[in-house]
Amino acid sequence: AELKFANYMAPTHPYVPGAFEPLAEKIAAETGGALTVRIYSGGELGAGPTDQYSRVVDGVAELAVGLPGYTASSFPMTLLSELPGVLTEADGTATLWEHIDVLQPEYRRVKLVSLWSSAQNLLYSRAKAVRKPEDVRGLKIRVPSRNAGLIVEAWGGSPVSMPVSDIYNALQTGVIDAAMIDGTATLAFKLGEVAQYLTIGMDTTISPFFIVMNRDAYAALPAEQQAAVDKVGREVSDLGNRVQLTEAQKGIDAFAALPGKEVIRLTPEEAAAFNALSAPVVDKVVAEASAAGVDARSVVDALKAK
Amino acid sequence: MSPIFVGTIGIVCMFLLMILRTPVAFAMLIVGFFGLWMLNGIWAAGAVLLTESYAAVSAYSLIVIPMFVLLGNVASAAGFSRGLYEAAFAWIGRFRGGLASASVIGCAAFSAVCGSSVATAVTIGKVALPEMRRRGYADGLSTGAIAAGGTLGFLIPPSTAFVIYAILTEESIGRLFMAGILPGLLMTALFIAAVLVVVSLNPAAGPRGEAVPFGRRIAVLGQAMPLVAVIVLSIGGIYIGAFTPVEASGIGAALVILLAVARRAISLAAFRQAVFDTVKTSAMLYMIVIGANVLNPFLAVTHIPTALGEGLATLGLGPYGSLAVIILTYIVLGMFLDGLAMLVVTIPIVFPVIVQNGFDPIWFGVVVVIVIEMSMITPPVGLNVFVVKGVAEDVPLTTIFRGILPFLLAMLTGLLLIILFPDIALLIPNTMFN
Amino acid sequence: MSAHLRPAWYKALERTTLFLAVLAGLSLLFMMMVIAVGVVLRFVFAYPILGSNEIIQLASVAVVMLALPYCTETRGHVRVDVLDEAIGRAGRFSGDILSRLLSGFVLSALVWRAWLKALDAFEYNDATNMLNLPIWPFYAMIAAGMALCVLVFAAQIVLLLAGRYEQ
Ligand code: NA
Ligand code: NA
Repeated sequence: AELKFANYMAPTHPYVPGAFEPLAEKIAAETGGALTVRIYSGGELGAGPTDQYSRVVDGVAELAVGLPGYTASSFPMTLLSELPGVLTEADGTATLWEHIDVLQPEYRRVKLVSLWSSAQNLLYSRAKAVRKPEDVRGLKIRVPSRNAGLIVEAWGGSPVSMPVSDIYNALQTGVIDAAMIDGTATLAFKLGEVAQYLTIGMDTTISPFFIVMNRDAYAALPAEQQAAVDKVGREVSDLGNRVQLTEAQKGIDAFAALPGKEVIRLTPEEAAAFNALSAPVVDKVVAEASAAGVDARSVVDALKAK
Repeated sequence: MSPIFVGTIGIVCMFLLMILRTPVAFAMLIVGFFGLWMLNGIWAAGAVLLTESYAAVSAYSLIVIPMFVLLGNVASAAGFSRGLYEAAFAWIGRFRGGLASASVIGCAAFSAVCGSSVATAVTIGKVALPEMRRRGYADGLSTGAIAAGGTLGFLIPPSTAFVIYAILTEESIGRLFMAGILPGLLMTALFIAAVLVVVSLNPAAGPRGEAVPFGRRIAVLGQAMPLVAVIVLSIGGIYIGAFTPVEASGIGAALVILLAVARRAISLAAFRQAVFDTVKTSAMLYMIVIGANVLNPFLAVTHIPTALGEGLATLGLGPYGSLAVIILTYIVLGMFLDGLAMLVVTIPIVFPVIVQNGFDPIWFGVVVVIVIEMSMITPPVGLNVFVVKGVAEDVPLTTIFRGILPFLLAMLTGLLLIILFPDIALLIPNTMFN
Repeated sequence: MSAHLRPAWYKALERTTLFLAVLAGLSLLFMMMVIAVGVVLRFVFAYPILGSNEIIQLASVAVVMLALPYCTETRGHVRVDVLDEAIGRAGRFSGDILSRLLSGFVLSALVWRAWLKALDAFEYNDATNMLNLPIWPFYAMIAAGMALCVLVFAAQIVLLLAGRYEQ
């Protein structure tokens, strides 16, 4: 059988050769060619990152890549992992899979194939050099999620929500003063052209990615093909993580190489000032999730303990 | 049956349905749905229908459609648009085709705040079409000028098309925007030239108005003020960072309503009608977006776009031969496909061929955007034409497509000039960034 | 279509679509107000409303779905009229029936799926990211708006067959 893999990113995106094509090749190899994957890139099966999870749930495609953060209400536990200080860039993916049984109940409507933690979100600032929390006071900062918004508020800034595609223009004209997004944005969204400073080193959120499979399509596979999907999915989680971290680092280096632009690398002491303010956010989110019936405290503790 | 065969049958059926008076949106929707049903089963086809409908009607970037339509409708009902045209007419109405030229200039001005061709055509169309009709302009000339002028929305920055091209090719958005300025002005001039050619061949198409005394011309400028103020405030607000281009649509609509109420220029009944017309036109446009977005995944699973791109790469025609084939393919595909969808699907296939042949990627971005713009006004599927038809309901589509012909020739001329003299596109970005 | 030709039940359908269009208009003005207030709060008072875009997006679902039946009933959809004369009276008549049958069928499939999705979203408490607004009512709105369009198509087919629908 052939599985359709929906990829909202361009066919030229590093994820395609770095993770998605290996997924297709490995599944074909594991099943002796009985199960193949065809990648539809550039949003051919439906555009944009936001509705990819829906597309798999409803059956537009058998497989899709997406971010749990775009349907945050479905993944309260997975998204606890994005809170500051819960996962580290280096071994976040391994930690997630260590505790995957705790997270699995959230993936009732699909089959979770791959899950990887991403790169730290950073602060691209339009004009103001951000070195200490006082510098953030009063700044309007685009945030990728509600949790990131709580962090910005804790620092003293004003969180703004807007689609990724609007960030470039909004930073250029000053609708927002800064944007919180990971290092890939220098190259992917050209933020190096419109931001003067890039601040890195404080704890922010780490937005996880996943590849999910349509539940019925998975159930229809013979056991050995299911096993192949499971095995390859776990391997591709590490590949996806590697692509994201490599690209984010490239983005930071590219920003540093731009003439007249500055990458501000906070010292541990400087970062501690930010982290002290954002630490209570974890407790706040845990309390909210617990009130909603999720055993958030034990999930956070387990992930922190690795 | 091979997917490509099913795809070909699907496209044929779509034209049959259109000939049989099925609305364009539903022809695309029907073919997309049944095609996906054949290739992927009814469950997957229904899933595409559902997710694309929800994605379209809840898309943040598309809210410019209802907001700009509202802006235009209220401006018309309050007489602001007429005021602008009284002024334009006083100044250039004594020239033949003066109002059509003024509409093209209006489109160019509006394009400087708006990244969308459709929204530009709607806004200026709402304002200009009734006025040109009142002054006895031929329907073909007036609708053609608006549909073509609207396409400047993509060429003159800001531009959604350039942003998508930049993201697909990892080129600089800023450079691409800069590269669009001179070609945008060139195209504006060529459109005005097209108007002049049309009225010199058929003077009745754009009648000469009476000469207006100078004092009166100054006095009448005041009537243009409300809309000029809204345009200036919108551009200014984006420029100083008060709001995003998407938000500018809502701010512009709110400003026009405030002005209309403050000047007691609109009755409650007229306002109600303007709102009714807005939701009706918006529903029509959203339905077209839904239809196109259901058709596109069907075409994707037929593998037709991929096959075309791969076929091209293997032909070995040399740089300008490949470029010619690419442009011709875009023009042919663009007759049927939505321009932006075509861009997303084909650029990844075409772009490597272009770079290998030594063409400048920024320059090619300009070329592609012009071709995309052409796709918006070529029959049978031309989004800008449908939009103009929505504004000028009683004008047959045939008349509009016929009226567009001179402007299409102007675009081909512009395209040729930019291919012959790449500096038209590259002068500003190279001067600014190097 | 002239008034004397329309049976009472069709007029009731017209009134329903018109009433929903009024609600669509109110949603439209509400959406505009949210944009304007959001901009003023952010720019003048440096107090952005986190998640205002979610309100705007959900309002746009309401605008389109409440207006679509009205648009369909008043024949607001753009169609290609180039060959109207060439296909003749019989061609126009059969085309009008066929396109409404097919459109109605596809929209029925959409109604069915949107309804299932609304139930699913309700069961799983699907909500927006920033404001946690429930999503199921908006799928239900798609189901309802599209269902009314199907009804409009069906009614027009009946009138066409009865020879009481003017082109
Ligand atoms: Na523009
Ligand atoms: Na076209």
